[in-house]
Amino acid sequence: MTSSSGQGKRRQRFDSLVTVFYQDMYRFAAWLSRDKAVAEDVVQEALLRAWNSLDSLRDDGAAKQWLLTIVRRENARYFERRRLETVDIDNLSATQAALLAESPNEELDDLRTAIFGLDDDYREPLVLQVLMGYSTNEIAEMMGLKQGAVLTRLHRARHKLKDCVEKE
Amino acid sequence: MTGEQDNEFQQYQALDLKIAKALQIDVPELKMPELPEIDSSGVTSLPQRKWTSKPVWFAFAATVVLAISISVRMSGVFETHDSLADAILTHIDHEQGALRVTDVAVSDDRLARAVPASLAVYDRGEFLITYAQPCVINGKSVPHLVVQGQHGPVTILLMPDEKVAQATPINGENVKGVILPVGDGSIAIVGGRDELLGPIEKNVVNSVTWTI
Repeated sequence: MTSSSGQGKRRQRFDSLVTVFYQDMYRFAAWLSRDKAVAEDVVQEALLRAWNSLDSLRDDGAAKQWLLTIVRRENARYFERRRLETVDIDNLSATQAALLAESPNEELDDLRTAIFGLDDDYREPLVLQVLMGYSTNEIAEMMGLKQGAVLTRLHRARHKLKDCVEKE
Repeated sequence: MTGEQDNEFQQYQALDLKIAKALQIDVPELKMPELPEIDSSGVTSLPQRKWTSKPVWFAFAATVVLAISISVRMSGVFETHDSLADAILTHIDHEQGALRVTDVAVSDDRLARAVPASLAVYDRGEFLITYAQPCVINGKSVPHLVVQGQHGPVTILLMPDEKVAQATPINGENVKGVILPVGDGSIAIVGGRDELLGPIEKNVVNSVTWTI
């Protein structure tokens, strides 16, 4: 196999995976960072990192978790570099508010704001379970927690959101 | 399950459906960053090994090529097909292991992983689901389920991104089925030639709500 055809096949494999999982990558980054611009930067960095280490992904069936783990690490790196403080829900920046305004839906706006206001520790496992479909075991592994801790966080997150839904 | 537990479970499901919808924010168009060419110039070649004989070398190379070919075919990522029905039959053919006759149902966790709330909500109802796996067909994410029918396993593929204009029959060597239009997507149901698919089709269509 020549070097250029090898590159071509590598690129084809990468494009196929990104096409399928890009939406999940962006939404995960957006709900982690709560900032549209940051999410876009994080996904760009994650795509570059994924491209560079694509050969370490042996099984394309594991691509989703592999890509989301890269997004998670890039998000942490981004905030480490910028030394950003945790977002105060009562004091959103323009780009943070823009994320909520991006997909307006009268029925869901209050719930979205409530999810936005959850602590990172609660919001992340909730997104991984409800949006990405991971089991509590898998979330525990991704977040480096015990399964019991994940269950507690999910329970508390739902409890807070349930109050919001019942108030509507 | 008592009435109270049942009610609590339904409330929990309704809340999760609402949360899943709330999490579905719009996604901007993909902007691929400039990807660098992977540099292999820094890799030092090992001294060329003298192969003992051509047949050994040839057998080794053939095994590697065959393994890569099988692995790529199994992934379904690069495959192109004349029709959606062909892609579905090929996929089912590749995952023969899914078609086991068993009375062991998959766990709720396994089902939730195969059918993420970002794609659909699936009420397992009275079905005995014995296989659940997220798969890729035509480059799209497709939950692949198997339920036990009256005469054997029946494959169900939930395809929120595959719109079909009308019910499309599927005819394989030993299987038959249909692709049903459901909202902006479709659902394929494929079983053995003697399977009664009608009641399963009706139940499946009523059990799925797209969230994408």
